[in-house]
Amino acid sequence: MTGRRVDDGLDRGQPFQFFLDGEAIVAYPGESIAAALVAHGRNVARRTTRADVPRGYFCGMGVCWDCVMVVNGTPNVRTCRTEAAPNMKVQTQRGVGEAS
Amino acid sequence: MIDTDLAIIGAGAAGLAAATEAVEHGLTVTIADDNPRAGGQYFRQPPLPFRRNGQSWFDKEATRANALFDVLGHPKVTHIPDAVVWNLPEPNVLAVAAGDRSTRVRAGAIVVATGAHDRPVPFPGWTLPGVITAGGAQNLLKGNRMVPGRRIVVAGNGPLLFVVGASLVRAGVDVAAIVEAAPVNARLTAALPGLLAAPKLLRQAIDYRWTLLRAGVPVRTGMTAVAAHGEENVNAVSIAPIDGEGRIDRNRIERVDCDALVVGFGLTPSVELMRLIGCDLDFHPARGGWLPRRSTGFETSVPGVFAAGDGAAIGGVEIALLEGRLAALEAAVRLGRARDASVRRAALTHKLARIDRFRRAIERLFAAPCHYLDLLADDTVVCRCEEVTAGELKMRGREAWTSMVQLKSTTRLAMGRCQGRNCMATLASLVAQSMGEPIAKLAYPRTRPPARPIALGDLLHEPIAPPELPADPHLPRGQKVT
Amino acid sequence: MADLPKDTDILVIGAGIAGLCSALYLARAGRTVAVVERGEPWGDASGANAGTLSLQVKRPEVLHITRRAIELWQDFKADFGIDVGFGRPGGLRVATNAREVDMLRHSQAEQRTLGIEVEWLDGNRLRDTAPWLGPTVLAATWCDWDSYSSPLQAGRALIDGARRDGVAVIGGAAVTAIAKETKGYRVTTALGVIACNTLVIAAGAWSGEVAAILGVTLPVSADVNMLSVTEPAPHLIDKVVTHIGGILSLKQYPNGTCLIGGGWQGQGGLASGRKEIDHEQLMHNFRVAIGVVPALANLRLVRSWSGFEGVAADALPLFGPLPGRPAAYVNACARGGYSQGPALGLLMAELISAGRTSLPMERFYPARFAS
Ligand SMILES: Cc1cc2nc3c(=O)[nH]c(=O)nc-3n(C[C@H](O)[C@H](O)[C@H](O)COP(=O)(O)OP(=O)(O)OC[C@H]3O[C@@H](n4cnc5c(N)ncnc54)[C@H](O)[C@@H]3O)c2cc1C
Ligand SMILES: Cc1cc2nc3c(=O)[nH]c(=O)nc-3n(C[C@H](O)[C@H](O)[C@H](O)COP(=O)(O)OP(=O)(O)OC[C@H]3O[C@@H](n4cnc5c(N)ncnc54)[C@H](O)[C@@H]3O)c2cc1C
Ligand code: FES
Repeated sequence: MTGRRVDDGLDRGQPFQFFLDGEAIVAYPGESIAAALVAHGRNVARRTTRADVPRGYFCGMGVCWDCVMVVNGTPNVRTCRTEAAPNMKVQTQRGVGEAS
Repeated sequence: MIDTDLAIIGAGAAGLAAATEAVEHGLTVTIADDNPRAGGQYFRQPPLPFRRNGQSWFDKEATRANALFDVLGHPKVTHIPDAVVWNLPEPNVLAVAAGDRSTRVRAGAIVVATGAHDRPVPFPGWTLPGVITAGGAQNLLKGNRMVPGRRIVVAGNGPLLFVVGASLVRAGVDVAAIVEAAPVNARLTAALPGLLAAPKLLRQAIDYRWTLLRAGVPVRTGMTAVAAHGEENVNAVSIAPIDGEGRIDRNRIERVDCDALVVGFGLTPSVELMRLIGCDLDFHPARGGWLPRRSTGFETSVPGVFAAGDGAAIGGVEIALLEGRLAALEAAVRLGRARDASVRRAALTHKLARIDRFRRAIERLFAAPCHYLDLLADDTVVCRCEEVTAGELKMRGREAWTSMVQLKSTTRLAMGRCQGRNCMATLASLVAQSMGEPIAKLAYPRTRPPARPIALGDLLHEPIAPPELPADPHLPRGQKVT
Repeated sequence: MADLPKDTDILVIGAGIAGLCSALYLARAGRTVAVVERGEPWGDASGANAGTLSLQVKRPEVLHITRRAIELWQDFKADFGIDVGFGRPGGLRVATNAREVDMLRHSQAEQRTLGIEVEWLDGNRLRDTAPWLGPTVLAATWCDWDSYSSPLQAGRALIDGARRDGVAVIGGAAVTAIAKETKGYRVTTALGVIACNTLVIAAGAWSGEVAAILGVTLPVSADVNMLSVTEPAPHLIDKVVTHIGGILSLKQYPNGTCLIGGGWQGQGGLASGRKEIDHEQLMHNFRVAIGVVPALANLRLVRSWSGFEGVAADALPLFGPLPGRPAAYVNACARGGYSQGPALGLLMAELISAGRTSLPMERFYPARFAS
């Protein structure tokens, strides 16, 4: 999916950058990591332990834990509930918490 | 330990309405919610730094939301945001995990207003990135003003699909189809009298439908998604008609290209906390599944514990608002502090009855005719956390591991972080089907705390007296040794 | 579900670790065995337990039983084709203050006299062995026997294994009455009556209750042990961790989840059947755990629960013939009975089939409470 921002009647303020596996991603203050990634067309948050298949944003309300990633070195961070921040280092998670 | 007259769990529509009512009776209120900002699902607001001109269609509920949030500034109200109520160690005590603000709250009465989450329906491909829930799509829009794709299919069952579809159209998305399991068009005439009971809600519904129509969105009723396709992301969905018996007609599968698939099959109330303290629950599929049994005064079977909104029975935001008020009113009555109780009760109950007629009409309109278990293939993941497939569950069943408890403990299903929210319902349906028993009769695995996962470190902050340590750890602990 | 047979040579009451292991080794000795279980097989202590197989935490009296048991745990796969999720990373038993250091020294010396060697670790050697230990840990003993198995995997595997060996394992068959016949017993269960030559009570914390049906008094009480599991996390804790004060048991399974226990007490009891979490006891459990392994603070708690562990008044196993009741035995209430289960099952099979045991067991006979 290639998501995008809907800016109808909205000023998001000053954009900043953070990094997904080294790639620069644009975000605006207050956006969740998951949302900024979806807007950038990066939908794979993690790969699973058993089947090694991709997962991403699903419930959007913090209950499914499919959107977890390694954020600034901390594994298992729910990106739908965590605000992006300037220069944050976000990594696709593998299995129980290794960065890929 | 915080002492309060009324503790409210959840700061969504129901919780905020309950708080508003409670302060009108002079009660002190503590309201905890696991989001950083109040609002719950329906009144979820964009991040504070976003500057809005207030003119957008997406801000149409901002005024009502802000009015509801006012109560949080009331001197008698303590709002604990970013706080998970993870247990009720006693029926009048909340255990709250909130980082270094973690605490316990002792209350005269409790209103549980924990809302709902999307009802999970597994089908091949539902775990692919790009397949997201209806609630997840709404939260992306409401909380981040974002849409998940360019060309989106919205599939499943229930009124929320039309809300999501219309919102996506308003956001400029190419909605490739709305795929609704119920034959709603055929049922419209019969539903009309009930729908007319709440003209404002009906007008809103017509607006959604009209938005879809104007945009030329195909609304495919009596059909269901049977598979999502793709490798790293969904790129198409297969849909098929449902016949008069509710069976999927696999001879007439169509494939629709898309870059996101939104699935919604209705909502399930979050009843974990009520399960934990042993509230009696009944099984009502039309209202979301297991629901707390409530008195006419919205009290559960545990005295002093009230339940309101989608967390008690799926009813939508207007019902949540009214139930929240009524539950707080009845709590005030129980605490002997209510003012003008009978006048208020009569007015609120009257409104509720009207909206309830609308709700029942909607419910009949959308009653799902589909056998969702037929969607499962052997390699379909049922438990997303532990990656347990339908085939593994069937195999265990053949090996004479048949009860829900046994299937859980032999496959690890429901043992992950979502705590069964995404798989328990499917397990129950599978077991019920294979045993030929109604779901209501099944023995469920016990619900255990925490109600939602919490960081262990949160629990270091609450002051407690030092423990008495066993002098001889080998002896029975109940027994003191010197 | 399997049907209740009309009769069997040996009837075991209770499908926990004690009952299933007794049945398994008896079946291996060629006997016909049925196990009747009140609820779900493996549904009580054995299904709820932490799976820690620690040798060095055990009382001196049961060290040799436990060592034998860990050997059997290790060999389950080779012996029976049963994968119980066994791992033997060795274990650290920690001390966090001067008093505990003394206790640990004393325990190490005592274990040495019994021929069990544990190694003393402190200072840099301790940090090198386990860099994840917190600064509050002053010393630890290292025991390379300390192991774990997965209770979930073991339950499934033992029941499947027992069934493969011809044992009838029958759930939903609570024993309500037992009558002495000229030869053996007639046992009434919720699913009907079954006759047997020999009876083994392996009803865990309820063994007192079941023995009372036969008119025998056993001094059994129950602890309500609590246990918690975290989310799966990257591998960190690579050893079994226990505490000299008996207040912590901790390990990380291969799937990344951490199990945190330590005998902290929940609420409830056998009389009410309630087994609930006690808020403050749970807080203490986590505080001790995080004190010993600070990184745990970042992990999420996914589930806490509690279960009944049967304990005899002297906290030693109840093992052996029931006094005055021919061909009736008990195998229950070993403290840390999961660790000891396979050995106690094997010894019970020896006692019943051969009349003697390969380890001295008389001191655990229930007759010790007769006076
Ligand atoms: C994800 C999602 C999106 C939705 N979007 C829409 C929509 O756009 N339009 C629409 O008409 N309907 C929507 N709904 C339906 C919606 O549930 C109701 O219309 C309305 O929000 C119900 O209000 P409520 O107060 O009962 O519950 P909610 O608004 O869900 O509020 C409950 C609150 O309690 C919190 N909570 C739950 N458990 C705990 C706990 N243990 N500790 C602390 N806090 C807790 C939740 O996080 C939430 O904030 C949505 C539902 C979901 C699940
Ligand atoms: C939370 C917890 C953690 C623990 N952690 C560990 C650990 O890490 N390591 C360790 O070694 N030990 C541990 N233990 C102790 C260990 O679990 C027990 O010692 C052991 O499992 C006991 O096994 P059992 O077969 O005797 O009892 P159980 O497993 O309780 O089995 C007894 C069975 O008898 C059945 N029964 C009772 N009455 C009747 C009747 N009338 N008719 C038919 N059936 C009946 C019960 O339903 C039950 O299934 C722990 C215990 C608990 C509760
Ligand atoms: S998307 Fe479900 S937890 Fe983040």
